[in-house]
Amino acid sequence: MQIPIERYELDNGLKVVLSEDHTTPVVALNLWYNVGSRNERPGRTGLAHLFEHMMFQGTVHVPGTGHIAHVERAGGSLNASTWLDRTNYYDTVPSDRLELALWLESDRLGWFVPALTQEKLDNQREVVKNERRQRVDNQPYGDWDERLQMMLYPPDHPYHHAAIGSMEDLDAASLDDVRDFFQTYYAPNNAVLTLCGDFDPAEARRLIEKWFGPIPRGPAIPPIPGRTTLDPLKLGREVRETRGGVPLARVYLAWRIPVYGTQDYYVADVASELLAGGKSARLYRELVRGRRVVQSVTAFVLPVVTGGSALIARGSGAAGDDPEVLERALRDEIRRLATGPVDLAEVERAVTGLEARHMFDLQRVNERADQISQLTTFFDDPGLINTELDRYRAVTAADVQRFAAEYLTDDNLVVLTYVSADAEVAR
Amino acid sequence: MSAPVLDRAQVPPRGPLRPFHFTPVHRRRLANGLTILVAEQRTFPVVTVDLLLDAGGRAEPGERAGVAVMTTTLLESGAGSLDAEEIAERVDGLGLSLDSGVSWDTGQAGFTCLRARLEAGFELLADLIRRPTFPEAEVERVREERLTTIQQRRGTPSSVADEAQSRWIFAPGTAFARPLGGMEWTVEEIHRGEISAFHARRYRAAGATLVAAGDASVDEIVALAERWFGDWEGTGEPSPPAVVRPRLDQTTIVLVDRPGTVQSEIRIGHIGIERTAPDYAAVTVMNAILGGTFTSRLNLNLRERLGYTYGVSSSFASRRQQGTFGMQTAVQTEVTAHSVSEMLRDMREIREAPVTHAELDDARNFLAGVFPLGLQTTDGVAGKLTSIATYGLPDDYYDHYRDQLLAVTADDVLDAAQRRLWPDRAAVVIAGDAQKIRGELEALDVGPVIVADPAELEAE
Repeated sequence: MQIPIERYELDNGLKVVLSEDHTTPVVALNLWYNVGSRNERPGRTGLAHLFEHMMFQGTVHVPGTGHIAHVERAGGSLNASTWLDRTNYYDTVPSDRLELALWLESDRLGWFVPALTQEKLDNQREVVKNERRQRVDNQPYGDWDERLQMMLYPPDHPYHHAAIGSMEDLDAASLDDVRDFFQTYYAPNNAVLTLCGDFDPAEARRLIEKWFGPIPRGPAIPPIPGRTTLDPLKLGREVRETRGGVPLARVYLAWRIPVYGTQDYYVADVASELLAGGKSARLYRELVRGRRVVQSVTAFVLPVVTGGSALIARGSGAAGDDPEVLERALRDEIRRLATGPVDLAEVERAVTGLEARHMFDLQRVNERADQISQLTTFFDDPGLINTELDRYRAVTAADVQRFAAEYLTDDNLVVLTYVSADAEVAR
Repeated sequence: MSAPVLDRAQVPPRGPLRPFHFTPVHRRRLANGLTILVAEQRTFPVVTVDLLLDAGGRAEPGERAGVAVMTTTLLESGAGSLDAEEIAERVDGLGLSLDSGVSWDTGQAGFTCLRARLEAGFELLADLIRRPTFPEAEVERVREERLTTIQQRRGTPSSVADEAQSRWIFAPGTAFARPLGGMEWTVEEIHRGEISAFHARRYRAAGATLVAAGDASVDEIVALAERWFGDWEGTGEPSPPAVVRPRLDQTTIVLVDRPGTVQSEIRIGHIGIERTAPDYAAVTVMNAILGGTFTSRLNLNLRERLGYTYGVSSSFASRRQQGTFGMQTAVQTEVTAHSVSEMLRDMREIREAPVTHAELDDARNFLAGVFPLGLQTTDGVAGKLTSIATYGLPDDYYDHYRDQLLAVTADDVLDAAQRRLWPDRAAVVIAGDAQKIRGELEALDVGPVIVADPAELEAE
């Protein structure tokens, strides 16, 4: 299975990737802007995400919530998301409405600022604060990523704060902040546009030039604020925090690891699969099914590129479980990656699982387009969608063992413990 | 030569329209009564296979609620000559995405796999479905897992509101009032013998359907089904329908007290429709206008006008029998009462006057347009085959589905709203800080305001 890739660039610097597939008469349009919460200044956390909300509040030629209305009445779906390194906007529409989607996405890149109003900002600020309440403040464990980021990354590193931002900073964001953010980061030379699905490539090129071509190149993008390198990469100590107010005990363990794109990142991804990728994986087999000291486990790596990534493992307990026992069980089992033998068979199972899921995911044009945009934004290499699996296949049992010995160590560890509300009362 | 000036205020024209057809559905039947539904989808080398059984939540006794879910969960815990670890190694070694679960109408187990692993997947699925061993230690472990899930849900505001909603829509003691996975006191009483009895009674060839979608032909699927399920036996009575009866005869506000929370989880709902209701398409369009899209009345009002919430939506969950209608949102505590009154107002207004032409057009086009988006994956297509099998829809139902939506008129929508929305008999369930919101909710004067007894939320 080979995903077709056609890459080129407009004169204004917009990178474009086209990937045809005529299976279903739909086309996915996906735009990645190379800006995320990492680009926020101190005192303005949450601005990148609040800004993303503002992009749905109207432009000069498409006022109000017209963008969403146009896509919905065309029979399409759309959304956007903001994370540490990037902000993505995506529309999936019936293929006869490709030009509509190009019109809408180009208008908010070219004609956004004059349509800004204080009223729109105040409304979306309330929406975002309610998003924070719903996802973080009124959700058991909802602040886990915010807390882990604070402990994993030093205060002057751009990943020290979470993309959702703080209530105080959201309150402080002004119309000038929104305008400045747009003028600094939303330029064709800071974006990747991917089309995936049912279109004619020559016609698509013509339409992309028609709608995006006239938008002028922006000024050079300023460097990311703060300290973007971590030297040494390893934390050098253990960092802990305990929180309460949740139904059942839960422990998060996180280690700093090399960023997405390095060979060790792929080794880390295989290691996390081998720990908790399926029910034959070590943490499930030993701790959930075997000793029954943990109720459920997951492990994963963060696909981020600025300074350092993390491998995160999570174990949840049952009623009355002691979080210290949870923590010890998880740590002991993970330590065995470095100290005991790693079987070829378990590495093969891990890679088999990654390969199969990759193929299952790619069936959706919007997922394919998003992956292509990511690979182009981070590595300027959309063809990796076809070859990245080779990097996983190259990982050996010895690589996993060496990686674990180097990075999954006690002096490179963040421990976040949630104690159940019942246990708090008992104390 | 200069290019023509681009008029950006003009909506661009449509391009050439390519027709969309739902993949043909092929139906076969084995001698033992197993029905087979197949839809080919050949772009990616991927296949999804699901076996559907008359073993859903409706088929379990109320005092053992949870036995259906525990049975499907335990299929992976030992089957044929394999123990749990050997099954897990096989699943992961083949790269199968194993998927089992329970709805009110069915129990189901199946997998998505790369084409090359299809036969191995069938071999394993036959063991899981036909020869599970239910080892005692695994029964205990899965029981604890279920109890943990129940406790976790009890501490999660959105889940608390969802479960209380069912309890106040349906009459006490009826199946749909319960949570699908059972209650603590029922799960504690489920023993190995009951699980294997449920399996023996409900996991049988007659009445079961195997659905397959993806990169495999009908003949291949039938040959594999014949080989791995051809000598599977068993017949019996179909499970009886559930009793469907409302709990309330007037709109009632039910508070589930969560002191100190910063948001109120609001659920407003009542009994809904069967999946085969003749006005299903009209109800779907009506719901899209009320709360089924971003630009729906509810969301434009509560989110975009008032800024009270990250989002609000409405939905009909239809079953073989009448399911539920519900509007759901989470709002900051201070605006709870005003949100409730706005939601009830939107609900009443769509019953009082026809929707506009623009609303109707937009909703129909939205629903018809997004329909193919869900059919890009093999498991998306298998899901449609599952609906055909579960609800007894015609095999060509999805060929005509978009036409049915596009044919809905404003009168149909008004009629659907008047018959299917009951603003005077709704359960308004709110999980939030009762002390802070009770007074204003009473002042709304939409119906009695009661504080739910936490013990009752656990009981039958």
